[in-house]
Formats: sequence, structure tokens, C-alpha cells
Amino acid sequence: MTATPTKTTVSRPAPPTPKPAGGARKRRGSKQSLAVWMFLLPAAVLGLYFKFIPMFEGVRLSLFKVQPFLGDVFVGFENYAKVIGDQRFMEALGHTVFLGVTQTLGALLVGFVLALLLEGQARSLWFLRTAIFLPVVTALAVVGEIWRILYFPTADGPLNSILGWLGLGPLQFLNGTDTALWSIAVVGIWSGAPYNMVIILAGLTGVDRSLYESAGVDGATVWQRLRYITLPALRPSLVIVLTLAAIRSLRSFTEVYVLTGGGPAGSTEVWMTRMYSLGFQRNDIGVASAAAVLLLVVTLLLTVGTQYLAKRKADR
Amino acid sequence: MDSKIRFRARVAVALSIASAAALTGCGGGSSAPAATDDGQPIEVWARAGTDAATTYAAMFKEFTAKTGVQVNFQGVPDLDQQLQTRAASKKLPDIVINDSAALGNYTAQGYLQKIDKSSVTGNDRISDSLWKETEGLDGASYGVPFSRQTMVTMIRKDWREKLGLPIPKTLEDLAKLATAFATQDPDGNGQADTYGMAVPGSTERGYLGWWASSYIWQDGGSYLKDEGNGKYSSNASSQETQAGVNWVKQQFCTPGNTQPGALTAATSVASPFFQTGKAGIILTGPYNFSSFDKTPGKDVYEVIEAPKGSKDNTVLAEGENIYVTASNGKKDQTKQVIDYLVSEDGQKAGMTAGKQPIVRVPVNSDVDAAAVYKDPRWSVVQEALKSSSKAFASAINFVPFRQAAAEALNKIVADCPADNVASGLQALDTAINDELNSQNAKS
Repeated sequence: MTATPTKTTVSRPAPPTPKPAGGARKRRGSKQSLAVWMFLLPAAVLGLYFKFIPMFEGVRLSLFKVQPFLGDVFVGFENYAKVIGDQRFMEALGHTVFLGVTQTLGALLVGFVLALLLEGQARSLWFLRTAIFLPVVTALAVVGEIWRILYFPTADGPLNSILGWLGLGPLQFLNGTDTALWSIAVVGIWSGAPYNMVIILAGLTGVDRSLYESAGVDGATVWQRLRYITLPALRPSLVIVLTLAAIRSLRSFTEVYVLTGGGPAGSTEVWMTRMYSLGFQRNDIGVASAAAVLLLVVTLLLTVGTQYLAKRKADR
Repeated sequence: MDSKIRFRARVAVALSIASAAALTGCGGGSSAPAATDDGQPIEVWARAGTDAATTYAAMFKEFTAKTGVQVNFQGVPDLDQQLQTRAASKKLPDIVINDSAALGNYTAQGYLQKIDKSSVTGNDRISDSLWKETEGLDGASYGVPFSRQTMVTMIRKDWREKLGLPIPKTLEDLAKLATAFATQDPDGNGQADTYGMAVPGSTERGYLGWWASSYIWQDGGSYLKDEGNGKYSSNASSQETQAGVNWVKQQFCTPGNTQPGALTAATSVASPFFQTGKAGIILTGPYNFSSFDKTPGKDVYEVIEAPKGSKDNTVLAEGENIYVTASNGKKDQTKQVIDYLVSEDGQKAGMTAGKQPIVRVPVNSDVDAAAVYKDPRWSVVQEALKSSSKAFASAINFVPFRQAAAEALNKIVADCPADNVASGLQALDTAINDELNSQNAKS
């Protein structure tokens, strides 16, 4: 179902225009703008097909009982009512928000610390930064499988062995209803922090060195330097990091799907896994689409909200 | 002037994008299309990975050599998603071979044609109970049985003999054996790193509901009660079901009886525990014979008759049906394909033509699995299928029930100290009845 132009535009023959002086320049300008648009065209078509049409299709499907073969039946907002009235969705929402907050803040903090530690030009630092960045470019499914092994819930599991040396554990990790969500959050932080580190590193290079020096001369402590010089200078990058992380963590799916499949006892089910099991395991495409549209709306509000707050802060 | 040209350029770009989209956009119809014959070879889809697909291809090659009918076969691992796509374009493949459990879902979506049992050559060679499983809610047949199998219990024979324990005859024996495997170091490496059962206890795809069903039946319980005439009621909170679930919970809550992480394990995570010699008992399908024969090795494990619960030793039966889709207008070729697939030749080809059998236990009573495979283990499966097996209800869409059961059981067994079997099953009872109502199948 695509939006077809309803009005056919009537092309009027353009009246022959007298060429004013300087027409050549103008023509070049118009040619240029046409060229710009032609360059834009492939990306626009791709975007249309792989982003916008599926998005509008999703919105449309969320209003129907979807039966591809028999023809869809219009049900209005019934699907939305089902999602909001579904206790499992509401539980999943709680888990999603928990994961979102812990992963966002955790990854931000760890990324910030890493950036402070690894700022500099030395070759060894460059090597370390690369090594630490690896989790970001590793496929999350692979990361999940590796952590599954690390989290092996017996005393001889890799992480439990380490805890054992410290006289702690053994912990159940993914197998316990109270620890599973935390365990997933740790994986999320581990794979998200280096990404934040890179953005914050880029921000740190913009901090004026002489400020540090003069603060040093004035006898400021390390903490004061961080608080009054580094953090204010990093504000733009922090806003970007926060926005991206919030959106990313609301959409977390792969790590949960690979690590626990939503278990044990539904304690790690998030919005996306619930959506997936409804759409693809129960064939309830209408309700799953409604859930997806709600997620889209929340994401949009979040993004606009953070941007607005950042703007207001910057204006003050 | 300048802005005019720029505006026109923009309009041209916008129009060309919009028209491209309109040209390729999907047309929305509103009713099921009629069956047509497009003159192309008959298109057959089956849910099959690489190994199974080679067997199908070899089988249809034999069929074409025999009849001259060309077949366009596709092995599709994610069959249901692909079918959705084809359904949206109103042109399903002509024939689909898939789980017998898919029948309720497919009829609800309007995918299938009714099948006149009497028109199938050799329909009397297929037992009535199998034909019964192909009936929809209206009592008409919507599929033809093609292959069946039951879950079987496999045990590490070398471990059992090393500990001097007998073959388990009851569920109690089985639980004791599991504990012994976990505590008495059956692999003799001096470490407590072995476990009793390898269990897929995840809620994903309803695995736990699928695994536990056999044990619940063995104690006389069940998820659903068939009230006849396509109507069902929930049986989840009956005393018998509680007894079965109690046994299941005992396994999860006795340290070592199930492998670590069982609560979140899908089959792909659980089976390796048996393969790598970490767990000594597994309840699974006979399609795993070929991979288990490589590791842990054909001579170290045994396939036993299912141990008895308080009622009997019913195990879950599953299988594949041949479905004729609503858009199939190729009557003659369809009949030839179906007649061949259930004939003696077709069934044998399905068992032996390729790497992996796609007909596990034949539905044709003239064919003997153990004799064709030359493997006595298949007679255990065949025997169970004949005398002590049960299939999930297939007239309704069973997927949501299996999912609900898995979620409820997962909650119950995750909390060992709590006395939550009765309350958890009460919640499952409600969920099952709600789902029955939404499928108009509540008695």
C-alpha cells in the first residue's frame, strides 16, 4: 500500500522567457540544484523502500487483524488496547526501562572512565583503545554465546571460579530470576561502553589544555578539574551519547534473545522479545505491529525530549 | 525563475520516487483467491534444512522418473515466515509438507483445501487414528499423514552399567538414575561435572511445554481435554496434571538432576550436554540418532522404552502432513504426488534416499521401520507410536497453548522453595481457557 499521487500535475509549457543579463549564472545555479537532487535520489529511493514504506505499512497493519491470505480485517485500535491491557507487555516494559536505565548510565560511566584513562597519543594507548573497542564491532549474537559460557551457573563456571577465589558465589547469573536481568545489563554495558568511550574521547580533544594548566596553577584538585572544566566541555558529546544509548537500550533484543530467550520465568522479557514472539511465533502480526508503533512513538518522544532539554540548557 | 526550476526539479524527483513506489507497491485484496493452474511444474515446499532437503530432492527425482510429472521442490527452513510472504501475494506453493501441529494455524488462515480421504490411493494402509489427526474443527480432513515419530528416552549405557544400576522402569527410577549420574561420578574423572538430564527448559518457542508434556501425560494429566466436536477445555489444574508437574519440578529442583542453565536452554543448548558427555539422559526425537551416533558414539548410549508414570508411559508423538493449499489448481499432479508420497516406494525413498530420513516412522502400514533402517532402535519408536503415544491437538492452533504452558511451567520450576504448583497451574488454566475462547474452541 503506497501513497500514490492523487493529483496529476499538469505540466504547463513554460512561456519563453527573455534571457536577462546574468542568466548564465542563474542557469548554472539551477543546474547545480538539479544535480544535487539527482545525487540525492538513490539514497531517497532506498530510504523510501527500506525505511518509510515498511514504517507506514507497520502503522497500517497495527489497525488490522492481519490475515495475508484471507484479507485483513480492520479492527481500529483494538490491537493497541490488547497491548496495553496485556500484563506480560507491562512487565516487559518494566524490564525494558530497567535495562535501559542501567545500561545507559552504566555504559556512560564506564565509557567516561575508559576515555579518561586512555586519552593520549602513545602507541600503547592506541593499541589498548583498539582492543577495548572490539566488543562494539563483534556481532552481538557471538558476544551473547560467549557470555553464556562465562556465566555458566556452577561453581566451576569461568566467572564463578573467579568469584570462588574471592570467597564469593557461586552465583546463578542467567539462571536465577533475580540475577538474570542484571547479568544481561552487564553484557549490555560491556558491549556499549567502548562506543561511548570513542565519542567522549573525541569530545576530550576539544578541551582547551591551557584551562587545565591554569587550574593546576590555582591549586585545583583532580575532582575540581573534572567537575568544572572537563564535564562542561563534554556536554554536547554527552547529550549525543545519552540519546543514542537510550534509544538503543529500548530496542534491546539480541542480547536477551541469545542469553535467556526471555526466561527464567519471564524475568528478562523485554518489549522487543515479547513483540517478536507475538509476531513470528504466534502469527499475531497486528498486535505485534501495534507494539512496534508504540515503541516508535516512545523513542520519538525520548529523542525530541533530550534534544529539547539540551537546547534549553545550552541557551541558558 | 531560479526557484521555479528548483521547485520543478524537486517535484520531478518526488514524482519519480512516488511512481516507482506505486508501480511496485503491493496491491491489497480482500478475499482468498481462487485456485488456478499456471501451467508451471507443481511447486512443493517443505520445512527442511540442508540434509533433509537432499533427501526430498532425491525422492522427487525418483517420482519424476516414475511418473514424468515435474516437481519444483524448495526446502525452506523458516517455512512459516516464508509462507506468510507468499500468502500476502495470494499465491501459495501448491503443496506444503510441514508439522502436523501446523494444521490448526493453517486452516485458521484459510491456507488449505479439504482433502477427500477416499481419493487417496492406499488410504486404507494409513491407520484411522492418523487420519483423525488431520481433521479440522469442522471434522473434514485438511491433510494427508506423511511421517510420524515419538520422543524417545536415551541413556548413557556405559555410565549406567558402571554404577551398576538397572534400566529405569518408572519415573521414580528415572529420577534416581539422574541423581546417581549427578553425584556418583559416572565418567570417573574425579570431578562433580556430570548431570542427570539434558532438558530444553526455555520458554522460547514453548520448549519446556513440549518437553514436559510426555511426563504430564504419564501421570494422567494434560494441558487440554478434548470435549468432542472440535471443542476443548483446560485440564491444567487437575490433580493428575499437578502430579506430573510436581515430578517435573522435582527434577529442576534436585541439584544436578537437570543440567545447569536448563531454565533458559533451547534444544540447541541442551543437546550438546548429552553429546559432550556432561549429561546422561535425554528425551528427544529419533532424528538425533545420526548425530548422537557420532558423539557420544553409537555403542555408549541406549534407547529405552519410556519409563512409566503413575498412569502409563505415553510419549509425545509428532509428525508431518502433506497439505494442499487453497491456491492449488493442479488436481491431477497433486493426486499423483500424494499417492506416491504415501505409497510403499515413496515412504521407503523418504527414509533412505538421502542423508537424513524425512519419513521417520512410515505412516504406510506395509512398511516396517526397523527392517528398512536395519536398526532395532527404530522398533522402539514404532512400538511407542503404535501403543503408547499421543499427539497435541492439531485442529486448533496449538502454538499459543504450548507457549503458555512453557511460560507457566518455567515460572513454577524457577522458584524451588515456593509451594507454587497449584497456583501456577491455576494461572495456566485461566490462560488456556482465554486462548480457547479466542479461538472459538471452548466447550
